[in-house]
Amino acid sequence: MTAALIIAELKLDFYGVHVLRGVDFTVPAGSFTGLIGPNGAGKSTLFNAVSGLYRPKGGSVRLGAVETTGLPPEKLVAAGLVRSFQLARGFPKLSVFQHLMLYGASQPGESLLPALWRSHTARRREAELAERAHGIARRLRLDHVLDNPVTALSGGQKKLVEIGRALMADPKILLLDEPMAGVNPTLADEIAGHLTALNRDGLTICLIEHDMALIKRLCAPVIVMAEGKVLTQGSFDEVAADARVQEAYLGRRH
Amino acid sequence: MILILQALINGLMTGALIAVPAIGFSAIFAVLRYPNFAIAAYATIGAFAAWWANTTLGLAVVPALAIAFAVTGVVGVVAEETSLKRLRDKGALIVAIASIALNLVLENVIRFAFGNDMKGYDLPIARDLRFGELRIGPQQLQSLALAVIIMAAMFLFLRYTRFGKAMRAVADNPDLARLKGIDPARIAIVTVFLGAGLSGVGGVLIGLDTSIDPLTGYRVLLSVFAAAVLGGLGSIPGAVVGALALGIAEEMALIVTPATYRTAVGFVAILLMLTFRPCGILGERAA
Repeated sequence: MTAALIIAELKLDFYGVHVLRGVDFTVPAGSFTGLIGPNGAGKSTLFNAVSGLYRPKGGSVRLGAVETTGLPPEKLVAAGLVRSFQLARGFPKLSVFQHLMLYGASQPGESLLPALWRSHTARRREAELAERAHGIARRLRLDHVLDNPVTALSGGQKKLVEIGRALMADPKILLLDEPMAGVNPTLADEIAGHLTALNRDGLTICLIEHDMALIKRLCAPVIVMAEGKVLTQGSFDEVAADARVQEAYLGRRH
Repeated sequence: MILILQALINGLMTGALIAVPAIGFSAIFAVLRYPNFAIAAYATIGAFAAWWANTTLGLAVVPALAIAFAVTGVVGVVAEETSLKRLRDKGALIVAIASIALNLVLENVIRFAFGNDMKGYDLPIARDLRFGELRIGPQQLQSLALAVIIMAAMFLFLRYTRFGKAMRAVADNPDLARLKGIDPARIAIVTVFLGAGLSGVGGVLIGLDTSIDPLTGYRVLLSVFAAAVLGGLGSIPGAVVGALALGIAEEMALIVTPATYRTAVGFVAILLMLTFRPCGILGERAA
């Protein structure tokens, strides 16, 4: 099986604290990989380092065959590595539609000349993006709130906008940081359904999640992190049966 | 009645002058997430830069303002990059305290260079304009017009230019802005330049009205801070609304209390606002 994302010996420090102490794992292409671990294990930090927000101190990240360590975030987005944020705050003044449009790949309005020109190609590209935004909104059932400001949405809908925004960038691999946390169970189920469908359509997903029932239902393989390293990995049942995993979650017995 | 109307006019005038540095303060807060009290020194530096341009080079008010803006902007960026920047990831409180220290240092540099004496701009003396029993100084009117123009320019910049939009994006969500290729470090430098520059211009406008000395900025610091808190920290329109409200409140208070208590209005305004509406008049989130 080919690898979508290969993380090797990734290290990162915060003020002398070793937050990532050599993380090694691979997200197989087309998989729905789960990333779990107790609070403070370094999961979100790992996402930040992989997506270019933090500069790792050592190690490497490869996206398929391409070395992407230390690339700035926008280059990684362009290369197909797109992430969502745990706090789905977005840009509070923009509507859902504007949010989606903002993250469309190769926006003509982004360089000055085409923005002024409004040339034929720029207009066509914008129409394409609008079409795509509507499609994604329909798919995520956000079409009825497209013109609402994101601040007016429910917590769950904000999470859907996060996912929609990521999809607009045409990702090869999606890193999702707790897209279902704090969402009511019905909507969480709906989000899980969307993710499964996207994965079935060929999108590679790496998911941080604390709800073990969801991880068990959605993810294979499951990677367990603790104290800045990968503790173990395998199918959900394998890692759940691992005594070290139970210890990491429950604390060491004295 | 005339008394109240006159106080209202005076309040709007002083409010408009306070609004300029308040916008600078709020812009820095919005993007960098800390209150920069060194804007007091920036205002003083602006006032002295314009005074120097005015008396030594013989420049008129508007070109002197432009020089004040540029000089203070550069001083602000240099101070930020050499001192405050290193402390930014230690938390807002640490940077705020450091900015107070920076303020003292810069203030005394000015004192060392220009002395403690009061200095006045070289301006033609003009008779007050009278509207019935209301009096308005032509200089005040010019300063008001300049303040309005500067504020309008700032709004247009934030609303319509790529850089203004990028600034607002970083203020709203720096991580998301980075995914779109906006570099928050660059935005921070431009914001500090603008914020310090506006404070400098504010210092000049305030100095035009009376005279300047090394404490010119420090004397209005509380009003500027109160205006920003009143309007909602980090909100640019809020800073303007807060400054006008505070200016009017200060002038109104003069009718009933001795002038010594004028500064108390600022403190009372902050206290009331933080008690009843911590996010400010136009603020969206509590600071």
